[in-house]
Amino acid sequence: MLFNSHSFIFLFLPVVLLGYFALGRRSHLAPVVWLTLASLVFYAFGGGQFVPLLLVSIAFNYGVGYLLIARKLGPGARFTALTTGVAGDLAVLGIFKYAGFFAANLNALFSAGFVVKIVLPVGISFYTFTQIAFLVDAYGGNVARYALPHYALFVAYFPHLIAGPILHHKDMIPQFERAETKRPDPHLILCGLIIFAIGLFKKTCLADGIQPLVAQAFGSNAPTFDQAWIGVLAYTFQLYFDFSGYSDMAIGISLMFGIFLPLNFNSPYKAVSIVDFWRRWHMTLSQFLRDYLYIPLGGNRHGSILRYVNLMITMLLGGFWHGAAWTFVAWGALHGVYLCINHAWSNYGPKAPPRFARLADIAGAALTFLAVVIAWVFFRAHDMPTALHLLSKMADPSDIAFGRVEMVYALFVAIYAALAWFAPNTQEIMGYDHKNRAVGENLRAQRMKPLFLYASAAVLAFGILGIQQHSEFIYFRF
Amino acid sequence: MSVASKNLWRFLCATVAIILMAATLNFVVDPLHLFRPARLLPAMYSPDSRMQDAGLIRSQQFDTVFMGTSLGIHFRQSDIDRVLGVRSLKLAMTGSNSREQGFVLAAAMERRPKRVIWQMDDWIFRDAPEIDSDIYVPADLYRRNVKSIAGYLFSGAMARESLWILARAIPPFEPIVARLTNGVMFKFPIANVDDINALRPDFDVAGFYNAQNAVAAFRRITDPARSGSIAEGYNYDAMVRGFERDAVALIENNPDVTFDIYFAPYSILQFVAMRDASPATLKIAYDFSAYAFPRLLQFPNVRLHDFRDVKEVTHDLGNYGDVIHHSPAIDLKILSWLAERRHLVDRAKTLVSLERLKAQVEAYKVDH
Repeated sequence: MLFNSHSFIFLFLPVVLLGYFALGRRSHLAPVVWLTLASLVFYAFGGGQFVPLLLVSIAFNYGVGYLLIARKLGPGARFTALTTGVAGDLAVLGIFKYAGFFAANLNALFSAGFVVKIVLPVGISFYTFTQIAFLVDAYGGNVARYALPHYALFVAYFPHLIAGPILHHKDMIPQFERAETKRPDPHLILCGLIIFAIGLFKKTCLADGIQPLVAQAFGSNAPTFDQAWIGVLAYTFQLYFDFSGYSDMAIGISLMFGIFLPLNFNSPYKAVSIVDFWRRWHMTLSQFLRDYLYIPLGGNRHGSILRYVNLMITMLLGGFWHGAAWTFVAWGALHGVYLCINHAWSNYGPKAPPRFARLADIAGAALTFLAVVIAWVFFRAHDMPTALHLLSKMADPSDIAFGRVEMVYALFVAIYAALAWFAPNTQEIMGYDHKNRAVGENLRAQRMKPLFLYASAAVLAFGILGIQQHSEFIYFRF
Repeated sequence: MSVASKNLWRFLCATVAIILMAATLNFVVDPLHLFRPARLLPAMYSPDSRMQDAGLIRSQQFDTVFMGTSLGIHFRQSDIDRVLGVRSLKLAMTGSNSREQGFVLAAAMERRPKRVIWQMDDWIFRDAPEIDSDIYVPADLYRRNVKSIAGYLFSGAMARESLWILARAIPPFEPIVARLTNGVMFKFPIANVDDINALRPDFDVAGFYNAQNAVAAFRRITDPARSGSIAEGYNYDAMVRGFERDAVALIENNPDVTFDIYFAPYSILQFVAMRDASPATLKIAYDFSAYAFPRLLQFPNVRLHDFRDVKEVTHDLGNYGDVIHHSPAIDLKILSWLAERRHLVDRAKTLVSLERLKAQVEAYKVDH
């Protein structure tokens, strides 16, 4: 089931909300169970055959977590339990996500004739990472014992289940345990609806609207210089509005239940460096990779050379997490190289004089954006030759079409760029403070004019009117 | 009621009001003419045939339906009417398969036309998805069920088009809006039904339809790197299944309708490309004709025209933009052949034209 579908907005969400608050008047546990069951129903709409896999994954990790938290095991046994848990998670991820890729590469190398056709379970990357973090923290003694229904809800919670954000148990489970969240709060419901509206608008009116332009570059015809740039820039903004729209919707939906989800986007295209970009883009993944991969690898604690090696490993695996294809590996590698250059420049490069700081930021933002756009070519292309061909077209200004269609498309891209660069982001508009569990304080204090309320209603209305029958979130494939 | 609750209600009511306003606008303007022919505002049409046809079937007066693929997309209804003495409705869809064509024709049959002119070739009968799985065909719009009406009325994209049509109907705005109506930003840029998918007057016909382009296309599709595409979709059993399901069933169900079915005059290069790059595909094409021709002529309401062996056209490569698409001049020729019933397949000798085609293909030599 998609957030941007009539059945979700007009049927599933209202029914789940009503049931949640109705049960919340009687018990603390029943709403948690209700929300867990609703999450499974939500998941079943996208791939019913994978519900058992999700349930087994939850049971397995909860079981391993129980051994690590509640049982008095010796260090060796604890390590064995952790290794078993993480290996089990990675094995499932490996089989479902990467077996076909490895078979295809073995076939290419040795003509082995392996045939592996496995359908990728929706959201497997997200719920696997979520649980690996739980196990690692449990091993480190940083997890209190949780009840199974709360744990199951933490993993399966439908606002995040399919495309993130990647949740952290320490952030989420205490919220599920709070009694206040089971009572309807009109302020949170209104703020949730407005945030959902912004996300829905981003998806249906912006991301889906620019999708046809992407075909200019990535379609079957060989693009000219301008068509290649327009198509790649269109994809750059499509991906941004699609994914950030989904994350907004997830935050908005969750807020209606009184649960604060972590931010996943903070205007990433305004970043002034690649390091800054990764603090703003898919923030929960960046945090996960930092805390559970880069730092355990040694981070920057073993000298600058190993720091760069660790950065490269982290980004390569981050790329590979996005998809089992060499294009994703190339994308990750490219960002690894960017990060290494960025860190080297920060350490050894000249510092801009204070009076040129603003200028340096603008130059840094332009260079960062260009680097990100180049990397998206690999992210979107079906294979490496297509990506390289497209890059060659982007570097060949001798072949230009710039007809009527290209002019109109360029105008569209400019409008999207203006929105991404100059408009305030959702959390700025709504005053969403995840850490302090606060949102819309201006609205609550009536400091916002009625015009804001009606403009928000228009955004929701346009978002609903913009729903198309055939639309899918890009991050569903990961 | 708390302030927050009041704000929540205000927000929800405003949302509903805006959605209802958009639906009202769509109902009044009715860009697709699904509810009524355009009366309040001048009609505007879209080149997206799969969407537009649903409304055309409802709003236009016709006694003859013209169906086809991109080979029939540039015909003008006025030419069909003039040459054949009918009142026609062109429903041709670029790249369409027989399932789509059969579905759209079945919807048109509810308006009881007397005649169907159907441009066919073996390619349209390739395997195709169910009509409800075909993302390009808004099937429910043809069925006019509640879901489709709701989807139509509560569509922001349609409301944008409605506003556009409305703005164009207001005299002071008309010149500016018309100038911006370029088919890129808005989906309903065509003011005259006769101009739907017809070539614009400023189209460079000679620059597009010439022997150089035809030969270049031949070289492209026979290039060993790409020649595999020639065989794409050619599966004899699937084609026969599609033919029986989409063509034969429609003909059987409408015995009072005359079906003028013609097999389009591809350039000879199309068959030669098959001969040289994929002989198995050529055999399937021949076998399919050998099956379809006698089968079609079992029905008394079918007139079958085979133009594939009309040498003076198919061998003159100047008539083509690639190996199959012919120029508007050939469109007119086809209409005159239909009117004169030249190249009609004899019910007693159904495969004579096919044998002639085979001989032509075998004899043709490509200049290197």
